[in-house]
Amino acid sequence: MSSVQIKSPDSAQADAVNDAPPDTATADTRKSSRLSRETLNIAGVFLLCVLAMLAARWINPNAGGYQQLETILVLCSFLVVVAFGQGLVVLIGGLDLSIPSVITLGGILTAVWVGADGGIVKTCAVLAACAGVGVLNGLGIGIFKVPAFIMTLAMGIIVYSLCLGATGGSPNGVSPKALTWLMSGRTAGIPVIVIFTVIGAVIAYLVQSRTRFGIRLYAMGSNPTAARFAGLHTLRLTLMTYALCGLLAGVTGMLLVGYSNGATLRMGEPYLLPSVAAVVIGGSAISGGRGSFLGTLAGALLLTILDMIISSLGFSQGWRTVISGAIILFAILLQHEGAMDYLRSLKGRNSTT
Amino acid sequence: MTKPSSYLTALSRSGAGTAALLYLVLFVAYASVERSALSVSAFSDLINNASPLAIAAAGGTLIVLLRSFDLSVAGVISLVNVILASYPLEDATGAGISLCLALAIGALVGLVNGVLVAYGGFQSIAVTLATMIMTGGLALVILDAPGGSVAEWLSETLTDTLGPVPISGLVLLAVVIVWAVIRKTDFGVSLYAVGQDEHAAALSGIKVQRTRCLAFVIAGALYGLSGYMLSAQTATGNPTAGNSLLLLTFAAIALGGTSFRGGTGGLTGSIIGAASLMLLQKLLFSIGVQSFYIGLLQGVVMILAVSLMNVGEWFNVRKA
Repeated sequence: MSSVQIKSPDSAQADAVNDAPPDTATADTRKSSRLSRETLNIAGVFLLCVLAMLAARWINPNAGGYQQLETILVLCSFLVVVAFGQGLVVLIGGLDLSIPSVITLGGILTAVWVGADGGIVKTCAVLAACAGVGVLNGLGIGIFKVPAFIMTLAMGIIVYSLCLGATGGSPNGVSPKALTWLMSGRTAGIPVIVIFTVIGAVIAYLVQSRTRFGIRLYAMGSNPTAARFAGLHTLRLTLMTYALCGLLAGVTGMLLVGYSNGATLRMGEPYLLPSVAAVVIGGSAISGGRGSFLGTLAGALLLTILDMIISSLGFSQGWRTVISGAIILFAILLQHEGAMDYLRSLKGRNSTT
Repeated sequence: MTKPSSYLTALSRSGAGTAALLYLVLFVAYASVERSALSVSAFSDLINNASPLAIAAAGGTLIVLLRSFDLSVAGVISLVNVILASYPLEDATGAGISLCLALAIGALVGLVNGVLVAYGGFQSIAVTLATMIMTGGLALVILDAPGGSVAEWLSETLTDTLGPVPISGLVLLAVVIVWAVIRKTDFGVSLYAVGQDEHAAALSGIKVQRTRCLAFVIAGALYGLSGYMLSAQTATGNPTAGNSLLLLTFAAIALGGTSFRGGTGGLTGSIIGAASLMLLQKLLFSIGVQSFYIGLLQGVVMILAVSLMNVGEWFNVRKA
């Protein structure tokens, strides 16, 4: 069973479904219906994005144009990067709560230490530091068996207080010129960051669904014991996943510095809950083993669009928050069938053990 | 595990024992730094300080026992807090009505969570994230900036002492006693059974969905009580009052020895875990650690405590 699981994510999921008592159809038709259902979910979220844009145009004729689309794409780049990392961690059944602190770490080191002149070596050192936080997370979770929730929460607090202590509360410094160009420059009429985000998204999709690394993560997430018996080095995979998540959070911190030309201690905070929300709206199972980057991408896009539309409506902050919560709930309710599938696969897994 | 000789093993397994030991060590350290720590007023301060987090953690434990997450704790606490601060009701009757209101709000949010998670089959973290955002938003609608004031009677009575015993300590004791009773009921037994193996529990005739739903309702009511206690402590309203408690709640649950894999642990451990977290903060302050680095040490202690517990558990398993 486990050897089948590492072939591809799709077959891993189909396998989990096949564990359920064979009551209706053959495995083949179930696999295809299973696949189309997942695609349908993602398409549903993308459709919701389009509807939201149309609604914005209907409410305010000036909104929803090309200009706004461009702003949304620029703004969603932060969330896409950070949610990709969160999505990988969720895929192996974990959760990374240290993300906001690592974003802050990356941002502060970039603004204060790297500074305006930039420098490849220093930039790489910053990213290495952020990945290092992830490695520490992975060590605690993989070796000392500290629950991911607690390990990353504690690391987040530790990193944050280090940032606080080192900067004395008010970091200063400016963005490296290259980053400013990345965030505000244009080539061929398109913002540079949008091009980078699109390329990054394609790479992220390939990493999660088409590389050996990504497929092993699916296997590990759907059944860690089976994955270990199948010969996967689960500790190494855990370390790599959390390191990558830390690295991506660091990148987000850098992008934010480039965008706002400075760092603050609270710059990472607004990204913790959205990073989880994007992953969950995209249809990933929080218990691991199921989900796709396309879903996460759709979730991140939807959250950014909603944020933008709701803030342009002119409601008070309270009602804005209530509405965005309601829409997140609605997006989750849309996945009812998906949730049922998940339950069925869980049931099947339990009956085999 | 059935061996009566391994009393120590059972104690360390319960989680509450390890947490109590941690609290004792911290308290001895605190008392040796701060001579006044042994006075009644200082001790009642400690208990008052810890009670909102302790009760919130107690509620969260029910959900963690079911191998689920409940993030709505932050929203419920904020919502209850702003309601108590915006509509203060004086006197004992007023406090009683406010208490019922707080419990009802929590239970209602819990019911929404419970129905969607248990009967709808949605992921608990997703549903409770949404309800947390919505209730937090409602809190902002009711009170858009910190302000208002909680009824005087409420804030004075709940921070007072009855003889040498702080009232908030009595509230905590009440929660522990009610839990001890619930633990013996069908629901209590079902809770652990479902947390350990949902499939087996269902096969042995346990109503899994009802258990799950009821757990969310009771947890919600406890969050309401936590918001009530917090309002009494701060005596004012803050629409984001609950946010700082969100992650601490889970830290307290972990320190209290409740496993995030479900099925093992209990409320008492979480309450002591919460008290330990708050005591650690006080201890670090009184040692004179720069406030910047208190978080650093808190994080390190959290990781160490949980790792040590795991080592102890591993040792127990080997012995058994």
